[in-house]
Amino acid sequence: MPEVAAPEQLPVSQARAGEPAAWDALFRRYQLPLYVYVFELVRHEQTSLDLVQETFIAAVKHLGSLREDRKFGSWLFGIAHQKCLQHFRKRTEVLCDEVPEPPDEFEDAPDDLLIRREQEQEFMALINQLPLPQRSVLLLRFIEDFSLDEISRITETQLGTVKSRLHFAKRSLRKLLEAKNENPA
Amino acid sequence: MKTPREILLAQHRAAEARLDVIRQTTLAAVTRMQPPEPAVHATLFQTLWQELFFSTRRTWTGLAMVWALIFLVNFSQRDNVNSVTGKPVHSGGPVMSLQAQQRWMNELFADRALPPEVDRPRNSAPKPRTQAAQTAAV
Repeated sequence: MPEVAAPEQLPVSQARAGEPAAWDALFRRYQLPLYVYVFELVRHEQTSLDLVQETFIAAVKHLGSLREDRKFGSWLFGIAHQKCLQHFRKRTEVLCDEVPEPPDEFEDAPDDLLIRREQEQEFMALINQLPLPQRSVLLLRFIEDFSLDEISRITETQLGTVKSRLHFAKRSLRKLLEAKNENPA
Repeated sequence: MKTPREILLAQHRAAEARLDVIRQTTLAAVTRMQPPEPAVHATLFQTLWQELFFSTRRTWTGLAMVWALIFLVNFSQRDNVNSVTGKPVHSGGPVMSLQAQQRWMNELFADRALPPEVDRPRNSAPKPRTQAAQTAAV
C-alpha cells in the first residue's frame, strides 16, 4: 500500500458538498505532512499545531477557490506556506534570500537521497542548518514529492528560483552528510 | 536505508495524538459552520438579492435618495408657486380659476347657440332680377 494516496482518490468533491466525513479523510491524510512541513520551518511545536489548525480552517472556508480537485494537496500546502510567512512577518523574519543562478543541469530524481539509519538524526539536524527558503523547497520535495511547478505555485516563486534553491539545498545537504561521514566526531 | 520522507514523518509521529485533537476540533467547527439546507426558492431569492441588489446597494440607495429629493422639490413647488407664472398661489386659487373658466365656457357656448345675423339662412328663395324690379315699381 503506497503511503501517499493518489490525488484522484481524495474526496475533494464530497468535501465541497460539505460532508464532514470527507473533510475528516482529507485532514487525516494531510495532518502529519503539513505539521512536519510547518514544524521544520517554524521550529516550535505549539505554533506549528496552531498554524496547522489555521490552515485547516482556511481550507474549509476557501475550498470554493480551488479550481482543480487533483491539486488539493499543493493548494493546502500553499495555504500552510502563507500561514508560515505571516508568522515570520510577525517575527520580522524573512523567507527569501539572494537566489543564485539556476544550474545548467538539474538533478530531478526525488529519491536520489537515501539516508542510513545511523545518519537519521544527523540528517534532521542538517536540514535545520539550511537557509529557510532552501529548507522550504527541500521539505516540499521530500514530504509530498511535489513537482517543481507545484513548489513554484506553493511558494509563489519563479520556477528558476525553485530549481536553483532545490539544487543548492541538495548539494549542501550532501556536502554536510559527506563531511559528517569523513569526520564522525 | 530510508528516504527523507520516511525519516521526516517518523520523527514527528509523536505529534499525531495532538493533531487528531486538532482535526476533531476543526471538524466540529466545520459542522457548526454548515448552515441548514435552505429551500430552493429561498436560495433563488437569496441569489437574486445578492446579485441584483446587495452587490450594488450603494447605487440603489443613491438612486432612491435622488428620487426622494426630486419628489420633495416637486411637491414643495406645487404647494406654493404656480408652475407657469412662478407667482405664489393662494389657497382659494384653484376654485376661483375653475369658476372663471366655467363662466368663460358658458359665454362661448352661448354665442354659438345664437350665431350672427349674416350667417343665418334666408327664409325666401331668391327671385329673378326682373321680378325684383317689378316688385320695387309697384
